[in-house]
Amino acid sequence: MAIEQTASVKDQIREFIQRDLASAKGVSSFSDTESLMESGVIDSLGIFRLVAFLEETFRVRIGDEEITHDNLQSVDSIEHMVLGKMKK
Amino acid sequence: MAYLLQQLLTRSAALYPEKPAVWARKRTLTYRELDERSTQLAHLLQKRGLRKGDRVGIFFPKSLESVVCMFGVIKAGGVYVPLDPQAPAERVGYIIGNCGIRVLLTNKDRRSALAPEVIAALDYCVMTDGSGSNGSGNKIVPWAMLAEYPASPAPEVTLTETDLAYILYTSGSTGRPKGVMLSHQNALTFVEWCAEKFKMRAEDRVSNHAPLHFDLSVFDVYNAIEAGATVYLVTEDLALFPASLASFIEAQQITVWYSVPSALMLLLLHANLKAEKLPHLRTILFAGEVFPMKYLRQLAELLPGVELYNLYGPTETNVCTYYRVDRERLAAMEKLPIGIACENTEVFAVNDQDQVVTQAGGSGELYVRGPAVTYGYWADAEKTKKMVVPNRFQPNFNENMYRTGDLVTLGEDGNYYFQGRRDSQIKSRGYRIELGEIESALLSHPGVREAAAVAIPDDLIGNRIKAVVAAHDQQELRIADLQQFCATRIPKYMIPEQIEFCTSLPKTSTGKIDRVLLAQTNRN
Repeated sequence: MAIEQTASVKDQIREFIQRDLASAKGVSSFSDTESLMESGVIDSLGIFRLVAFLEETFRVRIGDEEITHDNLQSVDSIEHMVLGKMKK
Repeated sequence: MAYLLQQLLTRSAALYPEKPAVWARKRTLTYRELDERSTQLAHLLQKRGLRKGDRVGIFFPKSLESVVCMFGVIKAGGVYVPLDPQAPAERVGYIIGNCGIRVLLTNKDRRSALAPEVIAALDYCVMTDGSGSNGSGNKIVPWAMLAEYPASPAPEVTLTETDLAYILYTSGSTGRPKGVMLSHQNALTFVEWCAEKFKMRAEDRVSNHAPLHFDLSVFDVYNAIEAGATVYLVTEDLALFPASLASFIEAQQITVWYSVPSALMLLLLHANLKAEKLPHLRTILFAGEVFPMKYLRQLAELLPGVELYNLYGPTETNVCTYYRVDRERLAAMEKLPIGIACENTEVFAVNDQDQVVTQAGGSGELYVRGPAVTYGYWADAEKTKKMVVPNRFQPNFNENMYRTGDLVTLGEDGNYYFQGRRDSQIKSRGYRIELGEIESALLSHPGVREAAAVAIPDDLIGNRIKAVVAAHDQQELRIADLQQFCATRIPKYMIPEQIEFCTSLPKTSTGKIDRVLLAQTNRN
């Protein structure tokens, strides 16, 4: 059960980034570990669209001070942060 | 007096050898290290055949080595060309070919992104990331090789201030980027003006937010070095994260900040800025786009002790006018002026009757003359002739002036006010974008029959980009595919975030695409 849930959070994150952010930047694929900022998939406005999506979809609260490179740089790190918050 | 940019470093290195000159990702280079390493790089380049005026590309993410490379190239008498590390390989390949770059200062990741024929045409690459080894062949030079060259003195080169120092590529309306040629004199005219105007001191800690292929970084790097101050490079892990950026400004005790307004607006909206946390910050400079008054008022209120300056100028002149924000006027001000000419630069508006505007209220295209003005565009005599024109208002000697293409009004207060463009150049996040370059990218897709790019005004980033496309066969064309196609030709900040299909674009009576109508459709 726990494994299934993990996969679905990650899938939803990946799908949102692909559909709402990466496509418009002409990017068709990205790995779960690559830096989305370095490759330009996520720009300054994209970050806040991503945060709004995470807050709404997973019912978590992400403070401005948590919007950092370490938390948001890749699909894996975003998932890690969201799961950490959902447990609380 | 310094007449070459590298003399700024030589002078400061003699005065402050052990002081940090550059900071990036918690690493620093002292003045001595920066001076010695760039001298070693200059010797390496020269030994391997670099001659005066040869172009050298700098193609890797911003780091301490970037600044070593800038100084290394000019110390060897070369001309450096900063290449956007995020730009598509095709565009970078075009620039490399356009200005005849034979030597690339790069890293493993960026080099491998280039097309094989582009790499094959290069004489060699210097790897700044520690990759490569002595056994990698003649075409790969590891960074460690610098150690084999003398750290002092710098090679002898015969340069004058009129020689080129760097070329900055900007968006071109005909579909290809164009290279603005800047001489040592062009750069120093601006640097010396800034040094005096902003009272730059050795104690200063200057941020560098802009990418190095963007002319805002000329101030950050060269004014810091000129003053014997430290420049703090804002790398991608900081640039996009307002809270991290605010902590960085606080922790590094930044005294002078320079960026596009959209970066400041993100700080305002998402970083919980507090004046008491930023006691060292004394001056904020912004340029590249219009700062919406609403946010500027907030910034001025939030940081009451900080001097704010609106700087204006295209890459072709660097900054040519400035306005020091007057807090007392701010509440009643409807529009922020671009201000008055910088010293050692003259600007004037030329109206439709080809007369210089002298009366308040008059409008026209802004022209710039003086030692800051570019020679023109690399290998593009035609474009140069159109934009860098003989001064017809002064018959006594030969000199050129630059037509900015910006329409301005001379205000009652003596300041110039920006009104708009004569052409279809727009700004988005401070990036200068020719809509024609986007259209040209779209049109090169075999499925596209007609295309128009339209700017949609946006409070936070200046403009968003939308495209309207008529396809040969609409069934066969997908939005995502078109965006992906664009990504191979133009930088990500130029890709239309919205694409609409139509059977045919609206036309004016003369058969041209009706941009006015397209823009209006957007507003509704």
